[in-house]
Amino acid sequence: MIGFKNALTNQPVPCFIEDASQAELIVYTPECKNNLAVYLHKPEVKQSKKIGIFGNMATLRSIIQLTSENQFWDIEKTILTIDANDEVLVFANMEEVETYVQANFPDISEEDLKLLAHLDSLTRDERWKYWTEQFTACIKCYACRAVCPMCYCSQCTVECNQPQWIRVSSKTTGNMEWHTMRAMHLAGRCVNCGECGRTCPAGIPIHLLTTKMNQDLFKEFGTRPGFSTKGEYALNTFKTDDKEGFIK
Amino acid sequence: MSDFEPKIVAFVCNWCTYAGADLAGTSRTKYEPNVRIVRFPCTGRIDFMLLMKAFENGADGVIISGCHPNDCHYTSGNFHARRRWITFRSLLDFMGFDIDRITFSWVSAAEGKKWAELVNEVTDSIRTKGPFKEISTLDSSKLKQLFYDEITK
Repeated sequence: MIGFKNALTNQPVPCFIEDASQAELIVYTPECKNNLAVYLHKPEVKQSKKIGIFGNMATLRSIIQLTSENQFWDIEKTILTIDANDEVLVFANMEEVETYVQANFPDISEEDLKLLAHLDSLTRDERWKYWTEQFTACIKCYACRAVCPMCYCSQCTVECNQPQWIRVSSKTTGNMEWHTMRAMHLAGRCVNCGECGRTCPAGIPIHLLTTKMNQDLFKEFGTRPGFSTKGEYALNTFKTDDKEGFIK
Repeated sequence: MSDFEPKIVAFVCNWCTYAGADLAGTSRTKYEPNVRIVRFPCTGRIDFMLLMKAFENGADGVIISGCHPNDCHYTSGNFHARRRWITFRSLLDFMGFDIDRITFSWVSAAEGKKWAELVNEVTDSIRTKGPFKEISTLDSSKLKQLFYDEITK
């Protein structure tokens, strides 16, 4: 069972229990913001075959998105959550998870909307200056990649060195390339859990890049990640009459 | 800087645009020589990271061109490419990249004239904009920036 427990700090941390006697450790408070779905890719977890996971909305959406990408063919999982009335809900199957998520579909947070609106109001040069300043602080720790449930490729393109797509060192140019590539690989797949931005040791709001991509893709193509297990991925489908205004 | 000649890299699909460019050549159409053409089997193969690499390696402008919708040699490559470009262009704009330095077009194998006109138009516009310094100066210190300005004056 994957859930949260209290730790020495105020922030609850993820925990793994294997015995019903340890069930008292599990807590669930509004501070439990981490997206636990990332642990469902861990080989040690997958060995258990039967897994329970206590999810907040972000985790539930990640699980839906991962199901639509067929990533759970080898594990049996039971999903639990706590609803608005502090009742524990045990979902019998993915349809129930979908219904629950679709009924309570979260909006983008106020803080993020404000920051996005602010960036929208800047000129192009100002936006470039903002992002390049942010990326100067990036140390290429790849924590954003490690914490994202959607980053499950066993061989990431970053590890490819023939050709070397992304520089290993943390020069600003290479950082910009990395974040561009990350945003493109997650466009239309990210569930806006905000973990990447929260986890970044340099405090860069990289979750804004993927949030903006999701907004745009929803506007252009109507796709919404983490909404339905039958959802389509914007970048491997197409319509013959997709509209754009810039191709000559 | 009046003798700045832009470097334009063109990512084109083999079956339409490359053939169109060929036609422009065999028809002895004169057009600006600043373009370097890179041939792909299909626009669907063009990875968005290649555009970033082009700019990083000194390109001042980029053209991406392929078959018209419904005419793709591989049926649907250009449809996938179109979706990818819509997404990528929006991301670059959000990051503050100058998306006017990237031109997308559909040029068929019979449109040699259109290819020549496109290259001329893009070269003129990039020549007016000036060299693309935003990426090459990202890592430099202030001193290097002053030196760069001096030698490219």
